[in-house]
Amino acid sequence: MSAHGLVPPETMALVGAVLSAPVSAVVTRREAQRYARAVGDLDPVYFDEDAARAAGYDGLVAPPTFVGHAVVEGATLDDLREDGLWIDRSDGPRVRLAVSRTMFGGEEWEFHRPVLVGDTVTAERRLGAIEEKEGRSGPFVLLHHETTFTNQHGEVVAVSRLVGIAR
Amino acid sequence: MTSRQRLLGDVAAGDDLDPAVRRASRAQLFLYSAATHNPHRIHYDREYAAVEGHPDVIVHGPLQGAWLSQYVTSWAGPRGRMVTLTWQNRRSALPERDYTFRGRVRGIAGDVVDLEVWAEDADGTVVMPGTATVRLPAS
Repeated sequence: MSAHGLVPPETMALVGAVLSAPVSAVVTRREAQRYARAVGDLDPVYFDEDAARAAGYDGLVAPPTFVGHAVVEGATLDDLREDGLWIDRSDGPRVRLAVSRTMFGGEEWEFHRPVLVGDTVTAERRLGAIEEKEGRSGPFVLLHHETTFTNQHGEVVAVSRLVGIAR
Repeated sequence: MTSRQRLLGDVAAGDDLDPAVRRASRAQLFLYSAATHNPHRIHYDREYAAVEGHPDVIVHGPLQGAWLSQYVTSWAGPRGRMVTLTWQNRRSALPERDYTFRGRVRGIAGDVVDLEVWAEDADGTVVMPGTATVRLPAS
């Protein structure tokens, strides 16, 4: 058991484990551009193929952080929880903690190659480091979910480490 | 919207990046939820957001991260390449408020520029510290 008892040993033992089956998706022009517009990022390399080629890309490129959203599958309306999020029905191991509320705490990205419109991206999610911390309002847990994104050529295009704060 | 190309020779350690202001409307939060297929109620349902302890609906942490990405890539210019980006969502951000993005060049190694970047609220409190590395062309 961790110092404050928030991380049970069976969860600690999952560090490095694959959490769910890999998910693949085609990056479509419409979805990538809707995302760029919703962010308010009208960089021509996302909208104008000539501008993208002039910038050294082989075609229209997706905004760097879009790759994480391109692979979201969602679930059915019956699987929505009170907070609006989906019940996790993946068949991978469960990350159990002695605390229930998890907030998005930040993210760490490595961008290895551009993701182009038309690429097929596959995401594999692992449980990264788990740290127990002492905060102003008591102990909390930092959970890292590490996702590796690979394209149709087998090349790693990006790695994301999503930091969740559970308290 | 075409940003001018920044070259390696234009940059020196200690340089400040020009600030940029971002302000989300409630409709933008909705569109971002839709574009990312994110049904979390704290971003569109004010009554429910209060249940989770928020004074209002809140700006998605990843949307603030996407703003930071935009801040860095627009600084770098079209032929620049962002290699890494990190951020921490330290405080909640609210719609209809201004957040100012700022940055500073920490150092340069080869063709890679190391940046400290962050967003602050109207009081100058940092809501989101971050870092980025960017590869810049020499010519």
